[in-house]
Amino acid sequence: MTEPLLALDRVTKLYGDQIAVHPLDLQIEAGEFIAIMGPSGCGKTTTLRMIAGLEKPSGGEIRLRGARINDKAPWDRDTPLVWQSLALFPFLSVVKNVEFGLKARGVEAKERHKRSMKWLERMGIAQYHSRPVDALSGGERQRVALARALVTEPEILLLDEPLSALDAYLVVRMQAELKELQRQLGITFCYVTHSQSEAFAMADRVVIMSQGRIQQVGRPREIYRAPANRFVASFIGANNMITGCVRDVGDNKAAIETPFGVFQVNRSPGQTVRAGDAVTLVISADRLSIGQDDVSGPNCLRGTVIGEEFVGAVMTLHIDLGADTVFRLQLQQHALEQLDIAQGQQVVIGWKPEHAVLLPES
Amino acid sequence: MAQHAQYSDKESVPPASRGKASRQEASRVFALAMALPMAVWQCVFFVAALAFLAVMAFWSVQNFRVVPDFTFANWVKMFSAGYFQQTYLRTFGYGAMAAAISSVLAFPCAYGIAFKLPRQAQRLVVACLIIPYFTSYLVRTFAWKILLTDNGVINAVLGWVGLGPFSMMSNLFAVMIGYLTLIFPIVILLQYFSLANIDRRLIEAAHNLRCGAFSTVFRVVIPSAKIGLILAATFAFILSFGDFVSPSFLGNNKPPTLSILMVDAVKSGSQWPRAAVVALSMIATLVAVAFLAMSTAYSREGRR
Repeated sequence: MTEPLLALDRVTKLYGDQIAVHPLDLQIEAGEFIAIMGPSGCGKTTTLRMIAGLEKPSGGEIRLRGARINDKAPWDRDTPLVWQSLALFPFLSVVKNVEFGLKARGVEAKERHKRSMKWLERMGIAQYHSRPVDALSGGERQRVALARALVTEPEILLLDEPLSALDAYLVVRMQAELKELQRQLGITFCYVTHSQSEAFAMADRVVIMSQGRIQQVGRPREIYRAPANRFVASFIGANNMITGCVRDVGDNKAAIETPFGVFQVNRSPGQTVRAGDAVTLVISADRLSIGQDDVSGPNCLRGTVIGEEFVGAVMTLHIDLGADTVFRLQLQQHALEQLDIAQGQQVVIGWKPEHAVLLPES
Repeated sequence: MAQHAQYSDKESVPPASRGKASRQEASRVFALAMALPMAVWQCVFFVAALAFLAVMAFWSVQNFRVVPDFTFANWVKMFSAGYFQQTYLRTFGYGAMAAAISSVLAFPCAYGIAFKLPRQAQRLVVACLIIPYFTSYLVRTFAWKILLTDNGVINAVLGWVGLGPFSMMSNLFAVMIGYLTLIFPIVILLQYFSLANIDRRLIEAAHNLRCGAFSTVFRVVIPSAKIGLILAATFAFILSFGDFVSPSFLGNNKPPTLSILMVDAVKSGSQWPRAAVVALSMIATLVAVAFLAMSTAYSREGRR
């Protein structure tokens, strides 16, 4: 078995008796764009800082190309980080900021300047090379930070929410640029974010963390369509959840009894449930169908439309099912227009058995 | 139509906002009144005194009495005198030396307090650095005298281990000890405050870019704290340049500094105008030094 570029093996971080990161295993392959995502305080930034050597793991082992790096000082490892605050040196000009890492490696002045200018050109900001960094706009500073981290041609680039300080329209543009840059360079990007859209838009693989533990690792689609547990299901996208218990188990099906009725669900291969088990049914908001009187299929529910949100072409309806349960349903604006549904109206919603995800209650 | 009505309403100032304007006016008057005593103080004890000093530099002395006049004789006399030129250069050198020594010695202290001590301990150390100023500088200088004289405490202790006696009084060493007594805690404090305000992420960024702990001090910490470090050194220079106590009591007036020269001019022959010339040259020097220091401190690499 080949060793991945970066391996975290039972890595733990404690602050006093507070556990920031529980024993954590993660393999990051060469050339991969991986996003670590979770709410604030989930341990994602701590994990990144341990990789960079800015925090010392309390336990476990971090290996870069098979070699243990736990005890290496941050300046002895090749793991440049792009900071959330960018952490550009305000007392240096743009090009001197980029040259910083090369100077620390003893690259001589002329070569340093040449290589730095090459990166500034690539980022499209070469004309600002002699300016102080605080004379640049947010997006330009972002590029300086990227150039500064990449000028030493590392194998892995760590990014700690680098886009969170930018305007919304810039974020989308920078996402595309970052993804393209990673593809061109072919190096590993390890990207920490709290934003689902950033992670899903760029990453090959997404790691979902909560309370110092990894909740799920997978490709964006897998995580979106098959959340591994209730946390992921509620954190990702717009998922509706009902709790219930298993009534019958068929070949690859199961019937779930809930306060709202009995629903059919397909079991994913390898999933073992027994009759009587407590489970959660997860149905994605865009998998629900809606009708005025009925919808086809075995699973349907009655409810009242109590609200709507309109974002771009997608409409989100809030449907009250009673018993303090509100389902969210997403559909295209044009599809809704044909249905002629108004607020306060009684509707029927339904979903196909293969579109619900069955989660065992943990 | 309804919109038109709204617009015409806005044109005339509603009574409510007029009341607000007069309240703002009142609060501005109040603020000015509060600031007035300070302004009067500055005018009477600083601006007026300085103006009087400037005027007196052109007066003359006849029969040991100061007489109003308009003559450049005092200026010519002082600036052409070798002892003034030498004393000026010496005093400037002493001030620069005190600023340099205190800055270099204080930096490791300030660095240690800012980066190696926990928050609670930092506060304690800051308080301790203020405590020396509870006693008069003159008293502390006399304490040094007891320690430093030929048969003082230090030489007695050194004598027990068979060293000395060393001559530690009435020389440059003693004068510098005096200056440091005056300025050292202040320099540490000013340096500490500028170091404590450094964005720690910049230091981490330097480490992350493979800059080792030691070179990070020179490449990131010092440039980041530049303003505070220069301010501290400038303060040290200003205080030592004008100090009378240390060169007089620990240096035994020999060789003299400008402040001693000033006192001498007044004591021996009531030469107030010449003392005013010395004082004005000192003020001009300090203004120039402070201005140069500040423009260096706030200069930045790169063009806008």
